[in-house]
Amino acid sequence: MELRTSIHRKFALVTLLTAAIALAITGTAMLFYDLRSFRSAWITDLDAQAGIVGFAAAPAIEFQDPQTAAAYLASLRGKPTIMAAAIYSASGSRFASYVAEGAPAVEFPALPGTDGHRLGGSEVELFRRIVSGPEILGTVYIRARYDVAARLWRYVGICGAAMAFSLLAAFLVSQRVQRIVTAPILEIARVARDVMDRRDFSARAKQASDDEIGVLAQAFNGMLTEIERVMGERERAEAALVDSEERLLALNAELEQRVALRTAELEAANKDLEGFSYSVSHDLRAPIRAVGGFAALLGEDHGAELGEEAKRKLGIIRSEAARMGHLIDDLLAFSRLGRRAIEPVDIDMEAMARMVYERVGGENRARTVEFRLGSLPTVRGDRALFEQVWVNLLSNALKFSAKREKALIEVDSITTGNELVYFVRDNGAGFDPRYQSKLFGVFQRLHRDEEFTGTGVGLALVHRIVTRHGGRVWAEGKPDHGATFYFSLPRETGDGGV
Amino acid sequence: MALAPAATPVRAQSPAVSAQTVKAAFLCKFPGYVDWPAGADPADRPLTIGVLGSPAMADELVRLTSDRKVGERPVEVRAVKGGDSLAGLQVLYVGNGTAEELPQSLAPARSLPILVVTDAPGALASGSVINFTVERDRVRFEVSLPAAERSGLKLSSRLLAVAQRVERGPGP
Repeated sequence: MELRTSIHRKFALVTLLTAAIALAITGTAMLFYDLRSFRSAWITDLDAQAGIVGFAAAPAIEFQDPQTAAAYLASLRGKPTIMAAAIYSASGSRFASYVAEGAPAVEFPALPGTDGHRLGGSEVELFRRIVSGPEILGTVYIRARYDVAARLWRYVGICGAAMAFSLLAAFLVSQRVQRIVTAPILEIARVARDVMDRRDFSARAKQASDDEIGVLAQAFNGMLTEIERVMGERERAEAALVDSEERLLALNAELEQRVALRTAELEAANKDLEGFSYSVSHDLRAPIRAVGGFAALLGEDHGAELGEEAKRKLGIIRSEAARMGHLIDDLLAFSRLGRRAIEPVDIDMEAMARMVYERVGGENRARTVEFRLGSLPTVRGDRALFEQVWVNLLSNALKFSAKREKALIEVDSITTGNELVYFVRDNGAGFDPRYQSKLFGVFQRLHRDEEFTGTGVGLALVHRIVTRHGGRVWAEGKPDHGATFYFSLPRETGDGGV
Repeated sequence: MALAPAATPVRAQSPAVSAQTVKAAFLCKFPGYVDWPAGADPADRPLTIGVLGSPAMADELVRLTSDRKVGERPVEVRAVKGGDSLAGLQVLYVGNGTAEELPQSLAPARSLPILVVTDAPGALASGSVINFTVERDRVRFEVSLPAAERSGLKLSSRLLAVAQRVERGPGP
């Protein structure tokens, strides 16, 4: 409804404004024209009056009859604007005069002027010579009120009334005519509002006219058709998208479920495996101790009864039983590592490496071993586990360099952007790089037991400990040219390990 | 001629001396308000004014018209005596004689298209068209329409408007 009154009011305003401006301009032009023509007509009229009086009064001048001349002048009383008039003789003396009733005292010019008029304020003075053939008989003088203000006000009044009536007429006509123009626009507006309110793109505006508004309606309808089509396509696409999303979600959920299932299965299997290996190792310890123990007792208690060969074989039984006990201990340690919770503390790696070297290197005092220890950064981790790492790496280095006359063991570190890398280098037996991948496996051994003793669990333990601390291990080496074992730990450990 | 009143302003019209001059000026102005019958006043000839019995007036007229014209025409002044032919005159001024003598002296002009101007009280009765009068020391004139009609002259109503008296109706 507001829309409706708005466009109607604007229309009326435009019409009225146009009409008012046109009328004002016309009125002003007419006023100026009228005032000009009124003045010239009025003066022409006065001049004609003067001419008539002069012509009539010519004999009166010629025959010196001022009464008759005055009588002619008195006939001017029919024109109320004429206030005074006079006739001058050819010699320039006033011959006869006339003053209108009620007019103020008039001072007549002492001498007549030349033909013509003079406008002064609201008065006009006019002289007209009386001519007979070639002779100038005298001059008529007329003084009149030039009542332009009254005329102006009357004219303005007429103009105002005309304007008022014209505007009224224009308003009434525009009220009727504008419907021709506004009705189609309002129809389009109504449809547009419907579309906005109800989101109903199937609505169409009636094309009521063949003009620009008709074109507008047509274009509007065309747009609606296009929108309807696009909206339909979008809806279908959205539906398809929703459908595929749902399917994807279902698939995801299914996958996640499967992963969880597999993980659970895997964890259970792992746990079973660890439980199995632990219980196997644990359960194997007692019998093998018994084997070792009884073999020792046999040697002590019945040694005299046994021959040399029997003693030698008994010795083999005892050492193998002992070896098996070590294997089982290592296995147990390895298996425990999988279940134990890490207790992180700040560790001075340099001090720990020195302490461990002294502990494991003590038994080899006889040998000449050069031990070089660089500066090692502090790290945060499980103290017992890292001691185990150093024990394994350093005892490995001592073990594999045992056949060198001058053994060299270096321990140092490298700090990279996000890692602390520690390494242990020896100049021992080294290894074939082809078997590098087997180095850190459980019970994987690259050397025969006759050359170097060991269970094959040590590096696997190192691998497992470092991995559990978020690091990694690797090694470099060549046969007979020594080996370097590296392990790295992440630098940012959250609670400040470096 | 228009300067005549200027030389002798109306208010200052002095009776004895200038009356003659005023009358002479009037005589020169009358023809401007008179229509003569066809042929009686050929435009290519001078306007002829005859003066009977007043040499002073003839002199005055000659003096007045010597260097000027009446309308577009020159003026000829002719002194006439009793018994002279009046043919060719447009105006005849009869300056002498009483009302009793005038009918006789005017008789020859009666049947002619001549504007007869007399200068005696009651002279219109003797058959003149215009007669000078004096009113309060001012020269005026009276007019007889029957006499004008008899002579075939037409007088302008504007002339009649300034006449002191206009005689209408059938004349003698």
